[in-house]
Amino acid sequence: MEEKLQAILEAASKEAVELNARPDFEAFKARLVGPHGSLTDCVKSVGKLPKEERPLAGKAVNQIKKALEALFTETLQRIETAEMQALLGPAVDPSLPSAHFPAGTRHPLSQVRDAISEIFRKIGFTIAEGSELESEWYCFDALNTPDDHPARDEQDTLFLPEGLVMGNVDKKADERYVMRTHTSPVQIRTLLKEEPPLRIVAPGRAFRRDTVDATHSANFHQIEGLYVEKDCNVTDLKAVLDYFLQELFGSEVQTRLRPSFFPFTEPSFELDMKLPNLGKLSDQWIEVMGCGMVDPEVFKSVGYDPEAWSGYAFGMGIERLAMLLYGVDDIRYFYQNDLRFLRQFTS
Amino acid sequence: MKISLSWLKKYLPSLEATPDQLEEVFPLMGLEVESVETTGIPQLDNVVVGEILTRDQHPDADRLSVCQVSVGGAEPVQIVCGAQNHKVGDRVPVALVGAVLPGDFKIKPSKLRGVPSAGMMCSPSELNLPGEPKGLLILEDKPEIGTPINSVFAEGDIVFDLEVTPNRGDSLSHIGVARDLAAWYDLQLVLPELTCDPETAAQPTAESLLKEVRIDAAACPYYTAWSIQGVKLGPSPDWMQADLQALGLRPINNVVDITNWVMLECGQPLHAFDSAKIQEQTLLIRQATKGEKLTTLDEKERTLSEDMMVIADKNRSLVVAGVMGSLDAEVDDNTQDIVLESAYFNPGSIRKTSRSLILSTDSSYRFVRDVDPAGVVFAARRAIDLILEIAGGKLVGPGVIVGGAPRADRVISVTPNFIQKKCGFAISEEQVQATFERLGFTVDTSAEAWQVTVPSFRSEVDRPIDLVEEFLRIYGTANIPKTDVSLRAIHRRNDGLANFNTKASEYLCGQHFNECYHYSLRDEDTFTKWYSKALTQGLALANPLTSEQSHLRPSLIPGLLDALKLNNSRGNGLSPFFELGRTFTVHSGKLYECASVAFVLPAEAEQLPWQSGSGNDFYKVKGLVQQLVNLAGLKADRLFFESCKDAPAWEESHAGTVGSIAREQFTAQVGLVSLQMTKDWDIPGPVFAGEISFLPRVFERAAKASKFSAFSLYPPVTKDLALLVSESSLAETVRKDLAKVAREHVGKSFNVEAVSAFDVYQGKGLPEGKKSLAFRIHFRSNEKTLTDNEVGTVFDNIQQVIKEKTDYAIR
Repeated sequence: MEEKLQAILEAASKEAVELNARPDFEAFKARLVGPHGSLTDCVKSVGKLPKEERPLAGKAVNQIKKALEALFTETLQRIETAEMQALLGPAVDPSLPSAHFPAGTRHPLSQVRDAISEIFRKIGFTIAEGSELESEWYCFDALNTPDDHPARDEQDTLFLPEGLVMGNVDKKADERYVMRTHTSPVQIRTLLKEEPPLRIVAPGRAFRRDTVDATHSANFHQIEGLYVEKDCNVTDLKAVLDYFLQELFGSEVQTRLRPSFFPFTEPSFELDMKLPNLGKLSDQWIEVMGCGMVDPEVFKSVGYDPEAWSGYAFGMGIERLAMLLYGVDDIRYFYQNDLRFLRQFTS
Repeated sequence: MKISLSWLKKYLPSLEATPDQLEEVFPLMGLEVESVETTGIPQLDNVVVGEILTRDQHPDADRLSVCQVSVGGAEPVQIVCGAQNHKVGDRVPVALVGAVLPGDFKIKPSKLRGVPSAGMMCSPSELNLPGEPKGLLILEDKPEIGTPINSVFAEGDIVFDLEVTPNRGDSLSHIGVARDLAAWYDLQLVLPELTCDPETAAQPTAESLLKEVRIDAAACPYYTAWSIQGVKLGPSPDWMQADLQALGLRPINNVVDITNWVMLECGQPLHAFDSAKIQEQTLLIRQATKGEKLTTLDEKERTLSEDMMVIADKNRSLVVAGVMGSLDAEVDDNTQDIVLESAYFNPGSIRKTSRSLILSTDSSYRFVRDVDPAGVVFAARRAIDLILEIAGGKLVGPGVIVGGAPRADRVISVTPNFIQKKCGFAISEEQVQATFERLGFTVDTSAEAWQVTVPSFRSEVDRPIDLVEEFLRIYGTANIPKTDVSLRAIHRRNDGLANFNTKASEYLCGQHFNECYHYSLRDEDTFTKWYSKALTQGLALANPLTSEQSHLRPSLIPGLLDALKLNNSRGNGLSPFFELGRTFTVHSGKLYECASVAFVLPAEAEQLPWQSGSGNDFYKVKGLVQQLVNLAGLKADRLFFESCKDAPAWEESHAGTVGSIAREQFTAQVGLVSLQMTKDWDIPGPVFAGEISFLPRVFERAAKASKFSAFSLYPPVTKDLALLVSESSLAETVRKDLAKVAREHVGKSFNVEAVSAFDVYQGKGLPEGKKSLAFRIHFRSNEKTLTDNEVGTVFDNIQQVIKEKTDYAIR
């Protein structure tokens, strides 16, 4: 009996070394400890031995069983390790580049727009969207710019054909549709749709009938701001715009409000800034935006009582600010989409 | 508008501000400075008259001479000079060491090719004088040696080019700007004294050069005409010619120059008629007749329309009112008698005429910005004084005044508290009152609400809020205090579209797409060829500037192909791009503005040989589109993409579409861009693309708050089923049919959790025109572990129904 068991173990040990795949291993294990395995047979034969021989034989069988189990574990581990190794390809060269880098980049105008919006979001302004096609009433009349006003020059406005019907931009009466010349009609839409107090910024695209050159673009982007509150004043306006420019350009920025004219604000100002570190434009006043207190006529045109409500509005060109922030000297770069341009502004 | 500093000082003798100070101050008064031009010699120290004593050839340079120059001191100075036009004995301007010439050119002791030089002899241009730029300025009058150069030449002038906003018609003249400076610096404004004081009447008298003046046009409320007999035409005096030239006007003759000069002085445009050319001695202010022709002074024939106003005689029109005169009534060398017009025309009317004739003149520019009615007679009298003085002649008959000033001084009622409240800082009542008075307003403070009288020259100041602006302008915006931002919280969210744009661009950037911006307008041909002619027609602008930008874009994809093309041609390779922007579409005869997102992905993925990974295909870009729809807050897993048909921009059988403007309020297309289209754009290799156009109101829906729903903890049982279907069948149609049958047969005891396609096969072993679609059905119960038996029965029933009631065969 004992010899027989020893022979099984020896044969198994020899065979196990040769095993390299899991199915072979399973078959090998079955030949030993399966229902008809050689060790199983031995176990069964123990029962047939005379009673006095059984303890000894049993002990021998158990010893071999333990040895076989150790052999199984060891073999399986060896096979599993080999299997895992097989999963790996050839060794990598960690210095080779990856095609998955870098990620795409957001357009510089989007980045500047979002940076501006974020600065205003911090002080409670939220984003409002408007349409690029607008009716003349929303684009001009409601903003206190009647038809014969010098600020409303047809030469600068792109019109849609007379009689055009729009499915999702309403108009006041029978006025025409235009490509909006500024983002200010969002003020009117928001004032009509929502309840004061209001504090919005409205980024978007605007259009002028302009020949394209280094500083003019057929379309361009603006951010409009509107604040409507009780008892709002010029000092509040200055505080918010000073905060904004300091956030965008740093604490060294100097600002000044320069009296100006817009039909929809009174008083109206241009906001100029001066910076020590702006290349060729250092240490000189640069116009950055128009602003002013909402004109009482604008409140009247949307049915607000100008005695009860007051507010300020401001609007700035995103291209212009992007050019100042990044030192871009030709507006056309923004619309060419050369990757060597786009990838310079990874934030 | 150009303003001469020396001219300005005639009305502000006490003005002490330097040109640099004025350049800083004008913008703060609301008058933007476009440019500052210096005419004549500026103040130059250490530039004196010198005489050339010797002239010798430079030992080492053919083109240089070495001169000893006497400059009035004991010793002459040695100057090396590159000019050729000088000789011994010439007197020339000499910039001595220490001089700073225009353009910040500092003169220092130097050596030219080894020879020391202690100064520079100057050319006219180096002194900012007109003349030959290369040669030295030879002073033919031989002024005293050593005389400072500023004593030799008349004082120079500074000309400011100011940009005046449309509300500041009052400052379109030297007196106007002087008046504003007087308010700013609190100076005395000195107006020119008028000599003549003619009588006036409503109609001409017998002595007049006219018989009748009649207004027959609503846009002319106020017209005056003055007869001057026996003028002597000739050139205007030098000072007047110089003034006009400095401001960019061409001198013509004394009468015309005087009308222009007075306009630049007072802001009131004037017109002088040759009275001999006024037929039947009648001036008629009327609307033009349709098609009436007139040749303006710029020698262009203009066809007029009924909405334009003209000044006419009995037979023909002579002047486009407020805009430009005609050759027919021009004052010329033979003119002897003149009629001088000074009038007020309504701004809107002149603006329309000027716009439709595309003709803007110094005159129309001022009328459009509302001239001061009170200045009409003043300007006429001023011009008459100058004409009588310069051109001679005498005034005959009364000044004929028809109509009256349309507006006068206005009284605005305002409380000082209102001003303070709008400004937001403390100001004393005295400060407010003083500021208004400096502006020429009179203030009656006897009641709580002040009565502020604003003179008629300030056409746009008529409400309390306008007074706030005037106060701040003169008080100084620099004096508005700095404060901290303090705002109360407001309950409002970003508009959904803004949030979507952020999410979509972050997602696409993460997928290696680069964001682009293209123009919203494009040429007709692109759209007609790749979209439809009917659509393109609906997107045309009424007044495009160029044919390249004549139509609204219906899609972002042509722009994105431009980006691929440009980058490929510039050697940047083919990279994925995306754009977010508005597109336009026509649906049921109406134009809709959509918020769109689109991307292009070259089929040949940017791969490196050592990097494995799957290439780009339809299903990859479909997944991108679905995720973008998801980001819009819409359910994307149920979207049923169908084949893209009748869409020239897409490769049929390789593109899908879903949604509609009417029902889902968005449409999406995804797949392979038409190969012909990519070929047209010179892009090598196929390009995948996707585009979703949303109606912006989709984003107005409030986002649904996420809610937890409990799920089963028991294991699922799955069953696979392959169906033989027509090769044209869409997998989603079959899947839906199967899912419906499965749900009907599972009853209430457990659920069909999902039915999903997992294999497609077509080819060997299958009948012609058929394909095999394999689906996996997930069954699960919320209450127990399902047995094979339970599920098996249901699965058998499902197969039975599919066999009997559908066109699908079980494989």
